[in-house]
Formats: sequence, structure tokens, C-alpha cells
Amino acid sequence: MTPRHSSESAAGTETAPDRTLLAAVRARDRRAFAVLYRRYHPRLHGYLRRLLPNPVFADEIVDDVMFVVWKDARRFRGQSAVSSWIFGIAYRKAMSAIRKEGRYQAPLDRGADADAVAAGSSQDSELLRAGLARLSADHRQVLELTYFCGFSYREIAEIADCPINTVKTRMFHARRRLKHLLPILAGDAKEDERDRA
Amino acid sequence: MTAPEMMSHDTAAELLPWLVNDSLAAGEREAVRKHATSCVICRRELAQLETLRAAIVPVDDPDTSAAPDMRRINARIDALVAGETAGSLLLAKMRDWFGNPWRVAFLAQTAALVALVAFWPQLEGTEPEYTTLTEPQILPRGHYVRIVFDPTLDAAAISTLLESTPLSIASGPSARGVYTLRFAEDTAPTDRAAIVAALHGTPGVLFVQPVSGDEEK
Repeated sequence: MTPRHSSESAAGTETAPDRTLLAAVRARDRRAFAVLYRRYHPRLHGYLRRLLPNPVFADEIVDDVMFVVWKDARRFRGQSAVSSWIFGIAYRKAMSAIRKEGRYQAPLDRGADADAVAAGSSQDSELLRAGLARLSADHRQVLELTYFCGFSYREIAEIADCPINTVKTRMFHARRRLKHLLPILAGDAKEDERDRA
Repeated sequence: MTAPEMMSHDTAAELLPWLVNDSLAAGEREAVRKHATSCVICRRELAQLETLRAAIVPVDDPDTSAAPDMRRINARIDALVAGETAGSLLLAKMRDWFGNPWRVAFLAQTAALVALVAFWPQLEGTEPEYTTLTEPQILPRGHYVRIVFDPTLDAAAISTLLESTPLSIASGPSARGVYTLRFAEDTAPTDRAAIVAALHGTPGVLFVQPVSGDEEK
């Protein structure tokens, strides 16, 4: 099928809904694809950059993801949101890269923990990010999809192709692991234990 | 769940992460909030999750306001489209050539029939790769036995074994070691029967079967 570059394509407008754009991509509308690409690039790039063992490959994998979108647009059945479908592709690409190259682990300097807590929130954030890097890929994915991408647990279940309860369980374990890793959260957890008692 | 106030602590606690990212459905959101107002543990958990969210969201991403560079993906798509176009053209040419699918099916069937007719004589005339003891075989008029000797017997031993009989080798051995032996013309029927019976009991003889040669088989 010959690609359409037509400027008159209604689906090619910047404000067209995702589904309209994807339907046009299915019909090989390059302009609609460009709009979809520009729309998703920042989120996909940020998401992949956090997860990949080597963040410099984020650009390349965004292209891989969007190439699949172009190639397999006709496979989208419309049973989920377009964003869930696209992030599902990205999720699998990220997991594959993590499996191949191993997880990136930022150094977690225990000695610096106390200083960071004392110093304030910016260093807390640094520590939290280091803690995140030490989570398993599944746990990390749930946290990033929730807080960076803003997906609901139902959407995450679609993206990760797993039951909703699995998403909730992964989130539970991710939180528990972070509390174990980071005193800034564990300290509050101890208070919780006292409250429960 | 029928009403927000019925949400248990455990259910509310596991939904807290999505209350923080504001992705819960309206009913769930109200139920979790209602629970959290009266639950000190959930309120503390919410504060921790807010810290977590704040840590995740503002990662120092490069400036994404600029339009992303699409040259690489455009090149990949161009290559894919070129391949698809070439494939489509080939398919279109084949479609022009063969017409509709029924016509293709008819042509295929005709080709199969032509091939069958062309190769039928060869199939008919193909010699079997082996013979069996009971297989019909054209033999000149006379009386014969089909016989299988122990493979360890050599030609000299077989000649010795047949020396005392009115049998001579008419053909064989076949690929399976079957010899066809011909009785001398003047051998009486009773002698033929006695010789066959004797051969049955002769060491080195594995199988014996009398056969009539009448030019028809």
C-alpha cells in the first residue's frame, strides 16, 4: 500500500484523538504517524530512560516501539486505550533489554542516607531514585507506570499483560522493598508498626 | 463493593498508590479517601507515596519541547514501505496473470491432471524393488520350486545340496535371496512331492514352495 503524505488528511491534525490517528496509521498515513510519534516520544523516552540498563539507548528503543506501531497498527483491536497498547509494546521492549543487559543499579551510598535525610528533599529524591534502581524490573515497571506515566492499575494490567491482582501485588512488594532500602521511608514504617500495636 | 464506606483497610491500602496518581475511578476514589480520613496508617502511607511520586516525576529529562528527530524512523518506514510496495506490485502482476482465485484453482487442477497423465506410464511400469515368494512371475511351462537358502551357504554348498536332486537353478537369487529351481521334465509328480518334503527338512534350507510354470503367471 502506498503511504499517504497528504496534508489534507483529517487524522493528521495535532489535536486528533489517538484512535483517529492510529486508524489513519493503519491506512498508512505518514502525517498521522508523525503526529502520534511526536505525541508519544516524550513519555516513552522518559519511561524507557528510567528503566533501561543503558539510558543512552532510549531514543533507539522509542524508534523500535514506534516502528512496531506503524507496522502492526492493524493489530490494534480497540479493546484498550491506544496509550496502553503503545506502552505495552514499550514495556516488552524494556523488559527484553533488561533481560539482555541486566538491570542498571545506581550506587546506593548507605553512609549518605543520613546526610540526605538531614539535607532535605532534593537529596531524598536522589536516594529514592537510587532505591528505585535496585528494585526488580517488574516492581520498578509498576512504580514507573504509575507515577511517571500516570496509568491506572487496570491500564498497567493491560500493558504488562497480567491480572490486576498481580499489579497490586507487585506494587505492594515494590513499596515494601523501598522501605527496606531507604530509611526515609522505613522510619515512617516503624511508626506505622507502633500504631498497629 | 456497594458503598464507599464499606471498603476495608486492606482494599483501600492497596489502592492508595493510584489515589496518589489520581487514576482511580470516581467510586473507588471516594471510598479510599473516606477510609483514609479515619485511618492513620493510610494517611501516613499516603504521605510516603506522595514523596515517592515526587521523586519519580521530576527526573532530569532532556528538553523534550523540541520536535523529536524522526529521520531514523522515517528511513526504516521508507524501507518497509518500499518492500511492501514491491510485494504488492508482484502480487498485482500475479493477479493479472492468473485472474481470480477460481481461475487459479482451475489452472492448478489442470496442471495436476496433466502431470498425472504424463507420469502415469512410468508409475505403471515401475519394477518393484524386491520380489516376494508368492509374487506372480512369468515362468516357462514346467515345475518349479521357490527356495531360500541360509545366507551362510555359499554357491558351492548350494550346488552340492542340489546335486542329488533333479533340480537346476532357473533364476535367482533375487534381492531377497529367493532362488527359482526347475524340476527336470521327466520328474514324476510323486518324486517332486518327495523332493519338496525332503528339502523342507534339509539343513540350510529356510523356505521351499512348489510353483507351476504355465507361461501365464
